[in-house]
Amino acid sequence: MAEEVAVTIVTVRDIFQDEAGRKSRFSDEYRDLSARILLDKQDMAALGAKDGQRLLVTGQPQQGGAASIVVAAKADEEEAHPGLAFMYNSPWSNQLVSEPSGGAGGEGAIPGFKSIRAAVSVTDGDVTSISELFSRMRG
Amino acid sequence: MAVVTCTGCSLLCDDIEAAVTNEKLSHIKNLCRKGHGHFQAVFSERTVPMVNGQKVSMDEAISRAAEILKSAKNPLLYGWSNCTLEAQAAGIRLAEKLGATIDDTSSFCQGILMERILDGRIPTCTLDDVRNYADTSIFWGADPSNSHPRHLSRFSYYPRGEKRQKSYEEERTCIAVDVRHSATAEICGNYYFRVPPGGDADFMEAVLAVLEGKIPRVADKKKMIELGSILKKTEYGVIFPGLGMIYSMQDKMDLFERLMARLNEITAFKAVPMVGHYNMRGFNELLREKTGFINSVSFRGGKPSHGPEQSVIAAAKSCDAALVIGSDPLSALPFATAKALAGVPLIAIDPRRSLATDAAAVTIPSAISGLEAGGTAVRMDGVRVKFEPFLKTDLPTDEQILTGIMEAI
Repeated sequence: MAEEVAVTIVTVRDIFQDEAGRKSRFSDEYRDLSARILLDKQDMAALGAKDGQRLLVTGQPQQGGAASIVVAAKADEEEAHPGLAFMYNSPWSNQLVSEPSGGAGGEGAIPGFKSIRAAVSVTDGDVTSISELFSRMRG
Repeated sequence: MAVVTCTGCSLLCDDIEAAVTNEKLSHIKNLCRKGHGHFQAVFSERTVPMVNGQKVSMDEAISRAAEILKSAKNPLLYGWSNCTLEAQAAGIRLAEKLGATIDDTSSFCQGILMERILDGRIPTCTLDDVRNYADTSIFWGADPSNSHPRHLSRFSYYPRGEKRQKSYEEERTCIAVDVRHSATAEICGNYYFRVPPGGDADFMEAVLAVLEGKIPRVADKKKMIELGSILKKTEYGVIFPGLGMIYSMQDKMDLFERLMARLNEITAFKAVPMVGHYNMRGFNELLREKTGFINSVSFRGGKPSHGPEQSVIAAAKSCDAALVIGSDPLSALPFATAKALAGVPLIAIDPRRSLATDAAAVTIPSAISGLEAGGTAVRMDGVRVKFEPFLKTDLPTDEQILTGIMEAI
């Protein structure tokens, strides 16, 4: 088994998660639907992970804090896409999004919301809470 | 029972039947799941006027907000995409008065496409045209089944239209181009084209090649040639670009312009941006009318200036106070940007609790537009929609709050 799997995370929309967020961004339902990563079955197997396994997802180092979160694993039932993972757009996925630093638009260019490079590994830690995300922003 | 407009997304569905009894929705018809969440939000986690964590009167909150903005040297006014045109106009006036930077969500989503649409560089049409005439719809980096749930049923695939009486059964083809086999791609069946992340430009080049009768440089040449045939036979086609395409293309949007121009040499092809928030386009149109720019404008020095350094991503780092309205940037923006905003005196005008209201020095509750406050908005396709409130509230509208702040300044 691999200790770590490298993935590119693409953020996508989900109507159930969207509805939960509109009702409350502070609810367990919104956390459960947002703090998850959809992985290819091959990547799940490489990590020895099953649905619900907590995973540490670490993005690129960035200004202002450690870009890592703990989320729940979910095997993506869609066609094979090893190395490609999906997360629903949320404050959790945004923890991993690096800000632009150059290229067209410089610091004001569009951040890489759909091209997050990250490393994924198994953890015993708790799923990152919304209050923890908030504390990091305020810290 | 009332027939109301849903401000849950930029489709602005105006056929929602709703009734409320004892602070609960007792009757709902035609509302999608996303809209249902939007309507349910009326009844929970409402904000109250707060200054530094203490409950205050509405007047005190407005007065403190005015003080913060007045004493700031470089204030940022951000959000706007979930506000009425009337509130947006008041916001632009406030930015001008303060010499502030003003930006909306489009600077990191559909802005680079919307600018081309409003400039007339990319042909567009209304969603009613789509329903009446379109025989080919292409969802490119877009998954309306999750983002705009009634798009296919009201406009782009299932309904019968003036010239499309046989609808999806015989007369409409829908195509998905996406990195993921999304719910919308499932509906498109064999017409799902998978692209790798960042591969949209290469896919466009391949489409251009088959339109020229050349062999495309893709793995499945047969399927791409079949796509070319569909496009050539199309009578009225529409591309719906979503964020998947926008983020992938960015500084290559000229290629999309070129593709649209080539398609229009063959047949009629339009593009309608899949705008998320209900009135992002309205803000873009208003600001453009006022300044010539659709977003990311600074009024510092009295003259409007525009550029990426005025976008919220950059301005969050340089501002010394911020007013946020019609958006929760702490939820929607990258961590470092959210952290920067959370570190300055923040004024949050929001009907409901959010990460921004939790971080704000001043929280000002407002009526929810569309449900508790009337106004006007611009649908994703440019159609203006006027709506009336169907719930009574004592809360002021966004426009009234902004006017109050301006008067206090």
